[in-house]
Amino acid sequence: MRRSPRRLTSDCTPREDTVIVRMAEPEAGILLELLFQRYPHAEWATFARFGWRQAGETLVLTLAAIDAPRDGDLDPRVPHVAIDEAYTLRTALAADAHPLAIGVIHSHPSGCEPEPSSIDDDMDAYYARYYADFAPGRPYVSLIASHVDDELVMSGRIWWQGAWLGARRIIAERRPLRTWTLRAAGHIDAPLRSRTARLTAAFGEAAEHQLRSATVAVIGAGGTGSAAIEVLARAGVGHLIIVDPDRVDDSNLERLHGSTLHDAEQQTPKARVAARHVASIDPTCRVTAVIGALPQADIVHAVIQADVAIGCTDQQHSRLALADLTVRYLVQSIDCGVMLEGRDGAVRGQIVQLIRSLPADPCPYCREMIDSVRVTQELMSPEDRAARRAAAGEAQSRGESGSPYWHDLPQLNTVGYLTTMAGAVAAGYAIGWITDRFTTPFARLQMNLVAPFLDVTDADGIPDPTCACRRSRGWADQGAADAFITAPAHWPPPQWVSKRHR
Amino acid sequence: MSRERIDRELSLLRAGSLEVEYLSGPPEFVLYRAVPTSGAAIQLPAESDVIVPVPPGYPASMIDLAGLPVGSPFLARVKGGVNSQGVVQADGRQWQLASYHPHNNGGGPPWNPARHGFHTYIDQLIAWLDRLQ
Repeated sequence: MRRSPRRLTSDCTPREDTVIVRMAEPEAGILLELLFQRYPHAEWATFARFGWRQAGETLVLTLAAIDAPRDGDLDPRVPHVAIDEAYTLRTALAADAHPLAIGVIHSHPSGCEPEPSSIDDDMDAYYARYYADFAPGRPYVSLIASHVDDELVMSGRIWWQGAWLGARRIIAERRPLRTWTLRAAGHIDAPLRSRTARLTAAFGEAAEHQLRSATVAVIGAGGTGSAAIEVLARAGVGHLIIVDPDRVDDSNLERLHGSTLHDAEQQTPKARVAARHVASIDPTCRVTAVIGALPQADIVHAVIQADVAIGCTDQQHSRLALADLTVRYLVQSIDCGVMLEGRDGAVRGQIVQLIRSLPADPCPYCREMIDSVRVTQELMSPEDRAARRAAAGEAQSRGESGSPYWHDLPQLNTVGYLTTMAGAVAAGYAIGWITDRFTTPFARLQMNLVAPFLDVTDADGIPDPTCACRRSRGWADQGAADAFITAPAHWPPPQWVSKRHR
Repeated sequence: MSRERIDRELSLLRAGSLEVEYLSGPPEFVLYRAVPTSGAAIQLPAESDVIVPVPPGYPASMIDLAGLPVGSPFLARVKGGVNSQGVVQADGRQWQLASYHPHNNGGGPPWNPARHGFHTYIDQLIAWLDRLQ
């Protein structure tokens, strides 16, 4: 598969760049070590399995497993990749036992761009037909990795529904990776350049391009989310996806960035307030704002295209839904929340919490963060909630416990400086991940502003081996049977308040 | 509602020779046919059909309640049977939902979606129809 001089077109030239490929640790690290084991002079390769979801016009692929070559599967005597037929057949037969897409990933040697050669064209044309027989109805994936100007670069093309599609973006968890087709992107407006000069001075010129090319999803556009959105927009993030089902009321004005008295009077959707506020900060920032909630299908379509997601809601079902996208669609995310403990003027705790949520991290169930009674009540229809409350009252009037029917859950108190702090710091870590300049040095960070020691962090937890999150990592739609949550039928359909995703 | 998950759980039950069906809604139910009872000892049927609502957002929401055909003699004898949680139409019949909450302080384990589902709820239904009052 050594590259030949670049050709303009071939039968395998992608028709459109409509594919996003996602990879997470540890698979991404294992993959790159494997691919570059003969670098810089020779190539290497592996088969791999991918989950997928057709998200509108975009096909999202998620690296679920690597079927690494065994001794004899690749010919070590030649500098290019020569795959033994037995290896090909083994991966094809294995497709009977899993529902995932099959792909080949190979490296190019030093000095070679990840441009498919004519030999690559022949291989892909052959494998696309070959695997269609063994894994019908599934995409065939071909990725090429190389180093260009000391940068890790990958290209990809996918045979799907009778056509070759190109990879628009290839995203690797917390790892700088340039997608080959993005070479021409990244025009930066002069005003933005001067506005982000301080950030660029600290993080480098590349950071500005990385942020401009990035998509960040913010789930919840209340006090915490609106602060995160403001920081991200001012930092020059190119595309924001904003999701919130609620409308502004008077009690939000104390902490909702961008909101006005008029919004409270008109009960403006929070997603609309956020979109308007971003436009006032940076009109060139693309905004996809929606009134709705995860895991509604159209919203899942949008969020799984993000480089990073930030969870900014106090609803446990929303945390579960975002965690599900982290696990199955490999969307790295940060969950943030705040709590103000106190009564009658005595403030006992002012807590900001950030939780790192990477695909290999323990999920909220493993971390024992989920109260199923609370989640069940959150997901009930308003009619069911009223009926349950009435049944609890009747039980209590009979002298019985009302708890099987309804638990009154305390309203969490909060305050603008805490929500702003949580959202801003979460946005900072998102910027750190996107630019690869720093990462979260914690699994969970809790800061209590009135405690003797300001910060408490805890170590990585251990996932529960029986949890669904261990079975479905990277399985995308093919792991639907292990989804943490589904969208209740009684929820209203999403309403898009600004540009819809592709 | 996670149809894929429910299908998987019902497959497990069918593999154990139990007769179960998913009833599409709205509202959605799982119908368990011929669930064994301890009724024979008191001249009642030895088995009964039971429906269970699919909760919104399942599996994040816990499975709760159980329904018997309206007029079933078991309604007066099962836990929560006289405390109706509503009458629903499903499978061409009317069913009365009983106040049975095994995963919510009702005698069963706390809901854990990694371990529980419609395939394990059968245990709660068998216990329910065994402990007749």
